[in-house]
Amino acid sequence: MNEVGSAPPLRAAPAETPPDADALLRAVARGDERAFAALYDLVSPRVYGLVKRVLRDPAQAEEVAQEVLVEVWRTAPRFDPARGSATAWVFTIAHRRAVDRVRAEQAGADRVRKVAARSAETPYDEVVDAATTRLEQQQVRRCLKTLTELQREALTLAYYGGYTYREVADLLGAGLPTVKTRMRDGLIRMRDCLGVSVG
Amino acid sequence: MTGVDIHALSGAYALDALDDIERAAFGRHLAACEPCAQEVAELQATTARLADATELAPPARLRANVLAEIAVTRQVGPAKTRSGANVNRWRRFTAGAVAAGVLAIGAGATTYVVQEQRVREAQRIEAVIGAPDAIVERVPVNGGVLSVWTSSSRDARVVTLNGLSAPDSDHAYQLWLITGQRATSAGVLDAGRGSGVRLVSGLTGDESLGVTVERAGGVDQPSTDPLATVPLK
Repeated sequence: MNEVGSAPPLRAAPAETPPDADALLRAVARGDERAFAALYDLVSPRVYGLVKRVLRDPAQAEEVAQEVLVEVWRTAPRFDPARGSATAWVFTIAHRRAVDRVRAEQAGADRVRKVAARSAETPYDEVVDAATTRLEQQQVRRCLKTLTELQREALTLAYYGGYTYREVADLLGAGLPTVKTRMRDGLIRMRDCLGVSVG
Repeated sequence: MTGVDIHALSGAYALDALDDIERAAFGRHLAACEPCAQEVAELQATTARLADATELAPPARLRANVLAEIAVTRQVGPAKTRSGANVNRWRRFTAGAVAAGVLAIGAGATTYVVQEQRVREAQRIEAVIGAPDAIVERVPVNGGVLSVWTSSSRDARVVTLNGLSAPDSDHAYQLWLITGQRATSAGVLDAGRGSGVRLVSGLTGDESLGVTVERAGGVDQPSTDPLATVPLK
């Protein structure tokens, strides 16, 4: 975190080294607009893609993505690296904003009915289709495959569909305790498979 | 809600899959449970990785729009270190979030109440749920959850019904304070509604709180045994 002292060797890295979101966010926290532009280029496709996945409507997705990215700028000084990486922080804000928008717009029951009507569409397949050749995407896809069917459906409906666990339970015809547990089990399995660690 | 129950919500929390009231309750739990906070941080880092699979080029104008907006947007100050004041602010925030959720549940359900009364009641509800000594008990009932928040310092309880199957438009959920064979009405929800919130002023020392389905508008005495009861503290 503290860059005072000897020049960080990372600065001398070749130009093709991808910029590091954590370092960029630290600069953004000090009001560096150029660092923000670089951070924008790094994260905006995933912010926009995630928000659009949840909201589906491109115009709304664009609006919410803009809110999220401005929020990242505004609150960057509050980012706490002890609680996770810069990208995790950004995507947590993005997901929360997208879900807030969904819930503000539709009553839960309506949404469940709508989704039940289009239930042939499985979010997991969309994920698989969307995943291209990026290493991170391949890893996410591979790890999703290690989950049980119920774990995977619970995770993808909640995360990509923006549903509450009650709605997920309705959609899957499963009990609330089961869904709650599968969400936690599934994420723990994903965490271990992806090698995520914090602190 | 027992410690085991609430702990199991960490996954749903990290997936933003809790409703506002549960989210606030879990947030309160997190503030007091360092291992839970660590687990949630890891699970949130894991859910954030799910965003990797969604990459999609945004419209080109978004970049210019965002950069123009941040140029005229002031940044917040850095976070203070964790202190009592911070915890209090956090509590107020959670209570506000809960009240927002409560209002969302109540929206459309309160037809005859004037706006000012609603605001005052919402403030009192917020005060009970946000009180440092508030405890919450929940039971599942009719596909939803009955929750009772009790605060001695506020001398009041808040009862929420969330997502119960809705009765027909001639019937309503009614709440009862129960001691032995004696039941006193603690409020009636609007007819045909499966969700709602009621403030119960004064801690009466009753043994439990129950819910029945009655004809719209409520009755003097419950016509059946309660569908569910919550022991009162």
